[in-house]
Amino acid sequence: MKALTANRLTDGEVVFWTGADWSERFIQAAVFEESDVAEGAEAHAKSQFTLVVDPYLIEVAPVGGGLAPVSYRERVRAMGPTNKPDHGKQAVGGDDIAVLAGAHGAARSKGRVDLIRRK
Amino acid sequence: MPRLIRWRDGQAVWAEDPFTDVDDDQPVPQGDVIVSLARFQREGRTLLGEGRNLGVRLAADEAPESLIIDLARLAVVCLAFPKFRDGRAYSAARVLRERMAYTGELRAVGDVVLDLAVPVLRCGFDTVVPADSSSPDQWTAAARRFRHVYQRSADGREPAFAQRAKGEMSEA
Amino acid sequence: MYRYDDIDREMLADRVAEFRDQCGRRLAGEMTEDQFKPLRLMNGLYLQLHAYMLRIAIPYGSLNAAQLRKLAQVSRTYDRGYGHFTTRTNLQLHWIKLKDAPDILDELAGVGLHAIQTSGNCIRNLTADPHAGATADEVDDPRIWAEAIRQWSTFHPEFSFLPRKFKIAVTASPKDRGAIRVYDIGLRLHRDDEGALNFEVLVGGGLGRLPHLGPVIRERLPVRHLLSYLQAILRVYNRHGRRDNIHKARIKILVASLGATEFARQVEEEWSLTDKEAVDLPATELARIRAGFAPAGFETLPPLSATFESARAADPALARFARRNVLPHKHPGYALVNISLKSIGETPGDCSAEQMDVVADLAERYSMNEARVTYEQNLLLPHVKLDDVPAVHAALVDAGLATANIALISDIIACPGLDYCALANARAIPIAQDIARRFADPALAETVGELKIKISGCINACGHHHVGHIGILGVDKKGEEFYQLSLGGSAEDDAALGQVLGPALSADRVAPAIDQLVEVYLRERREGERFIDTFRRAGLAPFKEAVYAQAH
Repeated sequence: MKALTANRLTDGEVVFWTGADWSERFIQAAVFEESDVAEGAEAHAKSQFTLVVDPYLIEVAPVGGGLAPVSYRERVRAMGPTNKPDHGKQAVGGDDIAVLAGAHGAARSKGRVDLIRRK
Repeated sequence: MPRLIRWRDGQAVWAEDPFTDVDDDQPVPQGDVIVSLARFQREGRTLLGEGRNLGVRLAADEAPESLIIDLARLAVVCLAFPKFRDGRAYSAARVLRERMAYTGELRAVGDVVLDLAVPVLRCGFDTVVPADSSSPDQWTAAARRFRHVYQRSADGREPAFAQRAKGEMSEA
Repeated sequence: MYRYDDIDREMLADRVAEFRDQCGRRLAGEMTEDQFKPLRLMNGLYLQLHAYMLRIAIPYGSLNAAQLRKLAQVSRTYDRGYGHFTTRTNLQLHWIKLKDAPDILDELAGVGLHAIQTSGNCIRNLTADPHAGATADEVDDPRIWAEAIRQWSTFHPEFSFLPRKFKIAVTASPKDRGAIRVYDIGLRLHRDDEGALNFEVLVGGGLGRLPHLGPVIRERLPVRHLLSYLQAILRVYNRHGRRDNIHKARIKILVASLGATEFARQVEEEWSLTDKEAVDLPATELARIRAGFAPAGFETLPPLSATFESARAADPALARFARRNVLPHKHPGYALVNISLKSIGETPGDCSAEQMDVVADLAERYSMNEARVTYEQNLLLPHVKLDDVPAVHAALVDAGLATANIALISDIIACPGLDYCALANARAIPIAQDIARRFADPALAETVGELKIKISGCINACGHHHVGHIGILGVDKKGEEFYQLSLGGSAEDDAALGQVLGPALSADRVAPAIDQLVEVYLRERREGERFIDTFRRAGLAPFKEAVYAQAH
């Protein structure tokens, strides 16, 4: 499964493609099961160069309570820096952030095996 | 005829290009031509003897010092920018202008765009074939944007330290 | 300090106008990201994980109070009220918006600050000995020469598109406080037997994927020819440095492949053909720059201060601070005061806007309006009267800036790592925080003594891990963070590259491994030995045994 992410041109904010628009929240990201559909969305995003910079596809996988990006880097992007919990998207909080934070733990324990296997 | 931007009296203008750029595997046509260094080294004397204007194009890894013997007889030297970020031609241009005293046309070709106007002109190029849709007016404006320079280069601009020395003299 | 004249100010104004135009064209869709990216990078604007990052140059690490206050104000207005000082003595703001960037650069230009050439394949911001102008062992103020290079290298038309980035460091003391052996060019001022000033010129040092210590290519360069000689080095590099492989494009690879002798020969040949008078600064201009760094009114003071001595005798915290953070000055009765940005549990190198304001006030009131940034990610007040050290210390305590750990195990260099950086493979900051917490007890840290830990979140080595007494490199193993430890590196006079200890460790194993390494050192050390001395004598084996034995 894949999602499409980028940084917004004007302010660099991490955004996710919802299927119709760009959202700041990972939970609103469209999830692509088919790779050709995902690649089509990516190609469309590359044409939106006045809105976003460097769009690319990321791997996502189920974790306890929802979905999360497989790579640690992408979870940091979806949440914010781990040294400053009051900065980035995590500062707002919410259920989706809790799911991502749980995946952080998963990556350091056996849960990670599931993530990698699905990848 | 392809057009190029020519720098003349501090102003960029459109100019016609009378030269034909000839690949190594093409026969040399009549008239003014630009050939590669390899071809120049093989056929240069003959071509020069035919009473035409001759130019040489140097790839980014070819040394301008290769042209030392016949440099005064060349009408144009083209230096290649294979990529925007490849800056070898700036050194080659300064060597040609400042060390080898070349006074003919020095042409920047390849991935040369408006945002390179300052280094291109400062290193001694006087014509460019722009790879973007930039206009001579934009090149003129870009070249005039900086009122000062900190170092001497092939364009003869007076560096800041020389301006400062004058300022002191006028105060004295 | 050097003060900008009208020419310097107009250079900055013209640059801001140019970048405002370029940003406008990008936001209006007249330029693609591919076209814009190299232009924004040349103005220090990166796109990182969460936002744009602006890297502001602090030339040779020198700041006055007005500049520091402006950095505080900009970080409050346009960022999140803090900044991150780097190993290149730059300040990075991590939450910048592209649409604000021209306004920020406008504000910075008002106090003579900018972000020019803090990225891109050009000559980057200069670094110099942070003790310049204050240390007794210098033969000249290296900032005079760093400023000459700053001007010469700014918008250099020939050297704006080198094979790769290019960094120059200048020192003027036998003791290396500028890590000059790991720079593309390291310059060390010294006097010859006749008393004339010369540069020792080192070329081809660097960290990153293929670390090298720079060899000396010329022992004595008369100082008046500095710029023409630099032009010769840069021209040889610009013409012949590799451009086919980004990992082999730094000058260290060219120097290593030609050999230092052949590289030096090519430079000398190029230099012999150079019109030196056209490039080198005239004596009048050098004198003008020198005047900007003239010592400003040191008083004649006794070498000991009764005020300071009685205060430190009465206050153990001040006594510890004086032991660790206060250094002797070349003028009797003055001191250099280090300000650690390594409070236990905080992010190394981070400084809040409020703290910047406090340091600005202290610089203005007590340090002849000067503060410095060190490559070890700390600040420094270079000219404090010993009489004033207690007051400075008290103000630093109030601001959370009085951590007495300079050069100790908790004075850790760490790059931003995977918490911010688009290039990183692993986080560096939390590792530094974990280690520092274990040595939070100042008595324990002092018992361990000088121990330099340096952490990089990727092979680019912004955290200088190769030259840490203990180096820590973050690597990615199948999406998970791992850390490779190395021992025995040094960036100073005894410069050396560290040796890898063993297989990479998981994140939660790193801080315990540091404990184990320290235990071995405390067990094995002989009288007067620092950690690195014990390592050099005893070798890797006992340390390796301690960290990896339990794995069996």
